[in-house]
Amino acid sequence: MKMSLPQEAPAIPGYQPGKKALLVFFETDCPTCQLALPYLNALDGSRAQVIGLSQDDEARTQDFVRQLAIAYSVVVDRGLQLSRAYDPQSVPAVFLLDEQGQAVKSLVGFDKNGLNELAVGLGHAPIAPADDGAPAWKPGCGSRHLEPHDEGTSADDGGPGPLLRRIAQPAQRITLGEDEDPVEFCYRRFGDALPVVPPTAEKVAAMLQACSLSPDNIVARVPPCYGEATVEKIAANAVMAGCRPEMMRVLLPLVRAVCDERFNAHGVQATTHFAAPLIMINGPVRGELGFWSRQNVFSNVARANSTLGRALQLILLNIGGGRPDGIDMSALGNSGKFSFCIAENEEENPWEPLHVDRGMSRQQSALSLFAAEPPRGISEHTAQRAETVLRAVCHALATVWSYRMCGKAEAVVILCPEHVKTIHRDGFSKSQVRQFLFENTGVPVRHYKPADGGEGTQLVSQYREVTIQGERCYQKFSSPEAIHLLVAGGTAGKFSAVLGSWAIGPTGSQMVTYSIPDR
Amino acid sequence: MPVTLVHPGTENVPQAATPPPRLPSLAGKKVGLLDISKPGGSFFLDRLEQLLRTRYQAAEVVRVKKPTYTKNAPPAVVEQLRGMDAVIEALAD
Repeated sequence: MKMSLPQEAPAIPGYQPGKKALLVFFETDCPTCQLALPYLNALDGSRAQVIGLSQDDEARTQDFVRQLAIAYSVVVDRGLQLSRAYDPQSVPAVFLLDEQGQAVKSLVGFDKNGLNELAVGLGHAPIAPADDGAPAWKPGCGSRHLEPHDEGTSADDGGPGPLLRRIAQPAQRITLGEDEDPVEFCYRRFGDALPVVPPTAEKVAAMLQACSLSPDNIVARVPPCYGEATVEKIAANAVMAGCRPEMMRVLLPLVRAVCDERFNAHGVQATTHFAAPLIMINGPVRGELGFWSRQNVFSNVARANSTLGRALQLILLNIGGGRPDGIDMSALGNSGKFSFCIAENEEENPWEPLHVDRGMSRQQSALSLFAAEPPRGISEHTAQRAETVLRAVCHALATVWSYRMCGKAEAVVILCPEHVKTIHRDGFSKSQVRQFLFENTGVPVRHYKPADGGEGTQLVSQYREVTIQGERCYQKFSSPEAIHLLVAGGTAGKFSAVLGSWAIGPTGSQMVTYSIPDR
Repeated sequence: MPVTLVHPGTENVPQAATPPPRLPSLAGKKVGLLDISKPGGSFFLDRLEQLLRTRYQAAEVVRVKKPTYTKNAPPAVVEQLRGMDAVIEALAD
């Protein structure tokens, strides 16, 4: 969920500026909301103003307030505008705003410890006794704004969408015979050609304990076969991949991201191209869960990177049906289809990290997804100046997709810390680096003559001609925004990398960035 | 102690569709040609249309194009093919 609000965040009805506030997002038919919201009555009139924000229509909201005797102000979040701005993954979700209106703490689901910490932090006595008969913890339901397919009673005034169910049946339980080896069974039925950890009921339950959503919630439908990714099935694949339970807070937004229509997993999973979803992790979650961003960042250093990337791939295989011996028709494939997850080395980045470029605050944990070719390395050890380093990157960039194809691809450029030092020392800002790469990446016109019908030559009439170092060239990229920059890798070795894209734009795959909720 | 696993995959069993019976002849039939928008698709389909009209005496050839090869055909495109006796979907490259 977002901890800092965009400038254009809508006004909060009844909010008193200059005072702390608790924003409580809820749905009227969510059992966890029904359990949690009355506890907050005790805080009304304390140092914080309590404002309930209903994601349902006026009639249901009034009924909810009356039946549960909610004492604090409750308003309907019309159009779910505030829900979209604060972006809770599930409800109930409580945001504590400081006197400046900045969200400084959040709480999801029903959590007695969390409620008591919140109360004490506001100078109040604890509000959730351990022995009042309610459980210590209970997961909530998916937030309405993440489910556009409402049944016509939500506060979303976008009108009813297609009637798609949000809740699925529990996953089937498979009891193995005494003689069946669970590892071999899973390898045959659900594996990725490597052995997996069997998703036993106990291990999946432990995974679900770390999750703020009910197991039967459908998080997304996974292309290309559009299987329902329930929280429980996501957890089962996470177990198989070797994830630790706390990884669920990354996996849920990751599954949403990969099923985002802009990313177009339907095409990415079925194409004959090399593309595989590259996960890029930013923000505090790197340290909290142990994501690796340094030497061997594309390799097998950290459990967090390896298991998150593998869990995504297992979900795409088992729930999405994109099997490499079936619908996934990639001619050569991509070793990233075992696992493809890196983190940005923000500590060695003198500029803003990737997720800030993508509109997030630096303190917000985030994941970005890019349909990427395998990395192609750039060795540049003798350059003394930034410009020379960047020209080496330009030469690699000119080769993405196909050397003579221009304007049809994007790229992720991964600058290693040693290259970054040189570039930054010579005074380049991040936007200047992007601009330089855009302006100086081209393919010499002479390489198109004589016309031989090769890939890219047929579209020359659409290309933009520029002069680069005195040579007539076709400009490789359509804009500086087609080049995504991040810093990763070890501090020794002047090796950077470029990763080309699959088809781009609204008719291809677009990079998506999702926030990762706090602990 | 038997081990119980949680099914990690989709449990929706796809229903196999039965293909319609093969047409005995294309003569007098309406044939749809779906271009998936890959470069070069029109070369193949132009020739196919010519053959369907001249060699196979198709009564009508309807040309339909997907907006992009990277995504499913939108309903409006599929709708244009309603009523065809046969449809040929053309890959290219």
